[in-house]
Amino acid sequence: MADEEEYVTVSGERITLQRRHYSASCREFLVRCPRLQLRSLSAVTCSVWLVAYGLFLLCQNSVVLSAAIFVTLIGLLVYLHLVKIDQESLLIVGSLGIQMTSSYASGKESTTFIEMNQVKDVVINEAVYMQKVIYYLCILLQDPIDPHVVSEVVPLFQSSKPRLDCLVEVYKSCQEILEQNKKS
Amino acid sequence: MACRRGDRQPCLSTPSSYTLNCHKPPVCTGQAHSICMVSDFFYPNMGGVESHIYQLSQCLIERGHKVIIITHAYEDRKGVRYLTNGLKVYYLPLRVMYNQSTATTLFHSMPLLRYIFVRERVTIVHAHSSFSAMAHDALFHAKTMQLRTVFTDHSLFGFADVSSVLTNKLLTVSLCDTNHIICVSYTSKENTVLRATLNPEIVSVIPNAVDPTDFTPDPSQQDSSTITIVVVSRLVYRKGIDLLSGIIPELCQKYPNLHFIVGGEGPKRIVLEEVRERYQLHDRVRLLGALEHQDVRNVLVRGHIFLNTSLTEAFCMAIVEAASCGLQVVSTRVGGIPEVLPDNLIILCDPSVKSLSNGLEKAITQLKSGSLLSPEVIHNQVKTFYTWRNVAERTEKVYDRVAGEIVLPMGKRLDRLISHCGPVTGCIFALLSVLSFLFLMFLRWLTPDYLIDAAVDATGPYGAWTQQNFRRKRETLNSNS
Repeated sequence: MADEEEYVTVSGERITLQRRHYSASCREFLVRCPRLQLRSLSAVTCSVWLVAYGLFLLCQNSVVLSAAIFVTLIGLLVYLHLVKIDQESLLIVGSLGIQMTSSYASGKESTTFIEMNQVKDVVINEAVYMQKVIYYLCILLQDPIDPHVVSEVVPLFQSSKPRLDCLVEVYKSCQEILEQNKKS
Repeated sequence: MACRRGDRQPCLSTPSSYTLNCHKPPVCTGQAHSICMVSDFFYPNMGGVESHIYQLSQCLIERGHKVIIITHAYEDRKGVRYLTNGLKVYYLPLRVMYNQSTATTLFHSMPLLRYIFVRERVTIVHAHSSFSAMAHDALFHAKTMQLRTVFTDHSLFGFADVSSVLTNKLLTVSLCDTNHIICVSYTSKENTVLRATLNPEIVSVIPNAVDPTDFTPDPSQQDSSTITIVVVSRLVYRKGIDLLSGIIPELCQKYPNLHFIVGGEGPKRIVLEEVRERYQLHDRVRLLGALEHQDVRNVLVRGHIFLNTSLTEAFCMAIVEAASCGLQVVSTRVGGIPEVLPDNLIILCDPSVKSLSNGLEKAITQLKSGSLLSPEVIHNQVKTFYTWRNVAERTEKVYDRVAGEIVLPMGKRLDRLISHCGPVTGCIFALLSVLSFLFLMFLRWLTPDYLIDAAVDATGPYGAWTQQNFRRKRETLNSNS
């Protein structure tokens, strides 16, 4: 079963949060960002080409024009392959661990898995980010030697940055599963 | 005052659910304010301003207000931290320029400060210390954002040299449209009113306080066979260390059983070391170096007489701490010092070697004849003078008053700046405030207020911290029974 809800990111973009309940101790959260808009793509391309054309008129050198074409093509490839993330998912399985997947616009996926015995807790924290102070969800990893010490903080939904109301939803579900895990 | 890492647990509910489920009338009878303290100086940096902000905030939290503190990042201490009782501290990553003070451009700190003021729903901005550029920046932005402003001045200034003239001009500009100003003594008030050409009616005097439980006398630590004079201060010119270097050899010659203990560090340490070398006083003059705040009491109780040689002082915390430990205080008669203690607890002298030596001799004869008050008596007397609760109560009255006032709208603010600060400076800063208003409009367009998440209150009437504590207490009670 799955349900979808609309939320807003910190910078005001709309995102959808999809929740899939596979079983009592296995849930998945998908945060889907808006796709790359044709409008913004054409705006960037046009502006780069206009600047290049202006330079061409000034210096009468056609290398500028071909350079502009290469810059836009390579820029677009790099952006789609390494920067633009379409979807971020968090799969939490009570007895096993937590898996985070981010899918890039080009189709590339990167996956991280954290074993359950490494997970100390999932919390919402605050951080200064650029010129903002935002809430973010993170996994606290415990130190293998001393279980009371937090060795690392792994932030979740790093590229979409949902607002607090969305984070609270995910947080509550995660806590339910972690609680079950602790009891058993 | 290191913060505890374990305390960084986030709060679970949104503020709206608190207002719905856990509505509790505020503790204080008046209205609860949402106060933001801003200063460049806060822990882990040590000093009078730092402890003032911390203690005042704690007492205001106890009285049911919401308090947050904004300061700049100290080395790796960046971001948001929580101290005791949910006191929230923002360590902002702003560049430090000089003497732990950030650079002031009046603009670069605005986006972050505005974001915090909005998310914390701040109603009163309280800036501390005229040395802090961040405090002035915050006052400037707060006025642009139509928030109420209070400023506390902690130090005295001169009028003559170039740096004072410039700082005084800056202070005039910064304070001319601030709602209320707090000074730590009447001398300081007089000084600030003159420097910033203010209306004295908007300046209140609220002295500093000491925690009397931290500074208790302990006569067993005193060595009765000798007479010990304690000096605890930073070893800098302002504190009159050159006077001290004149007093030490003179008195050590006269009284063979006289010892000096000097606590503190600074550029003038070399002067004292020279004196010690020249007069062969190694066993009688001890230089302890920099002291941690918690060690100060243990140094104080080892002495009989406390000597303060400051050349300028707005309100001397050190002499109150010493008197609270039961020492006879000998001090220079400068700045706000004569207001601090009653005449029977302090011997005041002129800031000269001769006068201070006479004062010390008077104290030594009193000590020998046994006519000094006992440490316990002095402590009990001083205990009642300066408490943080009293300071918080009086500051709260200032907040109540300020909350009823209006913030000057843009047009009147420009008028005030131009008419009050001189034609040139006034016009420059009027232009700057117009620019800052336009910048604020731009920021509001870039990230509108409704896109900023309201922060979960840690303190105040809907504070998660206090309720969490109560819940935890109740749980432990239930599990015990």
